[in-house]
Amino acid sequence: MIGFFKRAAPLADACALGRSAVALPLRASCAAPPSCPVVIVDASGRTRRSTSAAGKPVVLRDGEQAWAYHPGPYTVDIVPFAQAPEIGLRTSFAVDALEPVAQQRFDLYLAAEVDGRLELDALARAIEAALQRELAQGQLALPPCTTIEEWNAFRQGFNQLLYMRFGLSVDDCVPADLGGQRDYASALAARAAAQPAGAPLDLAPAVAVLPGDAVLAPLAGRFEPALIDAQSLRRLFLELPCLMCGLRLAALPSGQALFRRQQSLLQRLDLLSVGAGTMPALALAAPGQALEAQEQLRRARHSRRATLALDEAWALLARMRGGGRSGRDEPIDDVRLAALYDDAERIVANLEADCAARREPRAQQEAA
Amino acid sequence: MNPVPTQAVCRSVLADGAMLTVTATRRPRDGRAEVKCGGAGDARLAARMAEVVRLARHTEPRYDSRDQVVLSIDRAPAEGERDWELALVLADRMVRGLWHPRGEVVANGWSDDWQRGRVDGHALRAAAAAALASPVLGGAGGLAHLGQLLGHPDPGAAVSSARAWFPLHSGGAFDSLGWVEVGVHPLLRDGGASEEEEQLIAVPGFDAARQHAVRQALAGARHFDPRGQGRWRTTVAFGPGQIQGRSWELALVLADRIARGREFLPRGRIVATGCSDAWHAGRVDTVDGLAPKCALLLREAAPGDRILLPRAWQDSLPPGFAAGVAAAGASLACVERIGII
Repeated sequence: MIGFFKRAAPLADACALGRSAVALPLRASCAAPPSCPVVIVDASGRTRRSTSAAGKPVVLRDGEQAWAYHPGPYTVDIVPFAQAPEIGLRTSFAVDALEPVAQQRFDLYLAAEVDGRLELDALARAIEAALQRELAQGQLALPPCTTIEEWNAFRQGFNQLLYMRFGLSVDDCVPADLGGQRDYASALAARAAAQPAGAPLDLAPAVAVLPGDAVLAPLAGRFEPALIDAQSLRRLFLELPCLMCGLRLAALPSGQALFRRQQSLLQRLDLLSVGAGTMPALALAAPGQALEAQEQLRRARHSRRATLALDEAWALLARMRGGGRSGRDEPIDDVRLAALYDDAERIVANLEADCAARREPRAQQEAA
Repeated sequence: MNPVPTQAVCRSVLADGAMLTVTATRRPRDGRAEVKCGGAGDARLAARMAEVVRLARHTEPRYDSRDQVVLSIDRAPAEGERDWELALVLADRMVRGLWHPRGEVVANGWSDDWQRGRVDGHALRAAAAAALASPVLGGAGGLAHLGQLLGHPDPGAAVSSARAWFPLHSGGAFDSLGWVEVGVHPLLRDGGASEEEEQLIAVPGFDAARQHAVRQALAGARHFDPRGQGRWRTTVAFGPGQIQGRSWELALVLADRIARGREFLPRGRIVATGCSDAWHAGRVDTVDGLAPKCALLLREAAPGDRILLPRAWQDSLPPGFAAGVAAAGASLACVERIGII
C-alpha cells in the first residue's frame, strides 16, 4: 500500500505550542499544526522555511532539523533589576509569521541557541538576562521616577534589543507590580534561613578545605565543559557572519576616519569567523594527544565568555539600528557613531582575547 | 564630560599607623596581562594583590580587555595584614571610571568573598579611624559590599539596605551631600500582636521629634504603596552632618522603596531633595534653597547619578543646569509624585 492516503502523524504535545512552549522540534513525517510556520536547519546551520502545505508532513533531508513555532502573541513578566523583584515589566511580544525575504533573526536564534524545545519560561529568562545586562551597563536607562520621555526612549531601545537579539517584536510593555507573585520579604527570610546562624567571620582557611562531593555533584551538572563548549562554538560559527552583515548594514560611516574603523572591525570579525570555524577540538592538546580535564574546563569557560561578547554585539547592533538620540528616523551623528564603534572595538577585542585563549591548549603566562 | 582618568590613588592605614598608598595606572594592554601588580618587592604579595583584583572584578557588568591596569603599593604591609585589600579594589575601580569619589580616599577593609563584592570587615582601631576625615571602612556598619558605594542593595544578602543622597546646605562653603540609609528585615509574623507600622521603624541616635518625623514620612509613603505595610522591620541611619529642615524626606522615601525592592534602580547614586505634606498620596512638595543646592548638585554629579527635584523647581532651574548635569553623565527629573509613571 503506497501511502497516498496516509495521514501525517500529529506533533506530540502540540497543545503546549503557543502557551508554554514557543517552538517544538518536529520529526520528519510529522505535520505542523495549522498557522505554525516551520523552520528547517540543515547540517551546516543554514535555515530555510518549510514549503509543504499545511497538514502535510514536513520533508527533511539528511541531517536536517525542523522546528514548528507559534507566532504568539505571548505575555511574560520581566524583572529588570535583580535587586527589585517586586517591580517588573509586563511584556507581550510576537514572532513574525510572514514568509521572510532574507533570513529572520528568530530562525537564527533557533538554529544557534535552541536545543530541543524552546519553552516560554526559558525565553523569558533569556530576555530578562539580556535586559538586565543592558541596564547594568547603562545602555538602556530605567531610573527611579522615570519621566515619560525617558520611558519612551527605554521602550524604543527595548524593542530594538528584542528584535536584534531574539527576532521578537514587542507589542506592549507596561510597568507592573509583581508584589502579588513574588514576595521579597519571604525571599529575604529564606536567604536568612539558608545562611548558618552566626557564621564565623574569622579567617577560615577557605582555600585548603575542599567542598565535599555533596556540594560538587549539583555543580557538575550545571557546567558540562563538552556541552557548553559545543553550544558556544555553534553560536560563534553561525552568528559571526550575521553580525558582520548587520554591522555593514546598520550605519553608513561618514568620513574617512569612521570608514577605516568600520573596515578594520569587519576585517577582525572576518578573521574571528574563520577562527571559529577552525577551532581545535576541546579534548585534544595536539592530534592524538588528550588534554587534561582542568584545561578543558578552562577552554569551555573561554568559549562561554565569547558568547557573552556575542550577546553584547547584538545589543550594540540594536543601538545602531535605534538611530540618533531622538529616534529611528534621525541618522546617527558622527560623535555617537564614533562612540558606538569604540564599544564595538571593545567587544571585538574581548572576542579575540577569548577565542585566542580557547585555541591555546594551556593557559598562557602573559608578559607582565 | 568626566574623562576616565589614567591614574588613581587610594590610601590605607596600616596596623602600625603608617599610611600605605596604592597607585593604579591604566595603559593600553599590548598583549600584556590585564592586571600587573607591584608588591613593594614581595612576589607573594603581588600574587595576592592580583588575585584580589581579579576576584573583585567579577561583580562588574562590563569587561574591557583592551586595558592593562598596573597597581603598585609603596610599602609592604606586615605578614598576614589584609586591610589594604579594599584600597586596592577601589583604586582599580577608580582608574577605570567605575567610581568617582571626591577628594582623597582612605579605605580599610578585607574580604574572603571578593567575587561577590562583599567586604567582611576592617582591623582599624576606633581611635585611628576617628583621626581620619572620612575613611571608607569595610564591614558591617561601614561598607558591607561594593555596590553600597552607589547605594545599591546587595543582591545576595538577607537584609536589604539602600542608600540615597541629599544636598546639605549650610551656607555655601561647607555644602555637601548627606546620605540616608534604610535597611529592611523581613517581619516574621506569628499571627496576632500586630504592631503599628511606625513602631517597627527605628532611627537609632535621633531625638524623639526627629524620630517622629522620619516615622511619619516613611509610614505615609508606605501607605501610598499597596504592599508597603506590615511586612518589614526597618532601621534608618543618617550619614554624618547636621540635618536641618525636611528636604531629606524624598531621599528617605526613595531609599525605602529601593530597599523593599519596589523601585527601579539608577546606575549610580540617587540624589534627591524634596518633602511632602501628603506622602500617603505620593505627592512631592517643594523645598527651599534652589540656587545653592543646584550649584552643589552640579559639582557633585557623577556618571550614572539620578537627580530628583520637586516639580515646582522645573521652571526656575538656573540656566545651563540641565545641560551641565547631562554633560556629567547624570540624569535629571523634576517629579510631582513618586511611584511608577
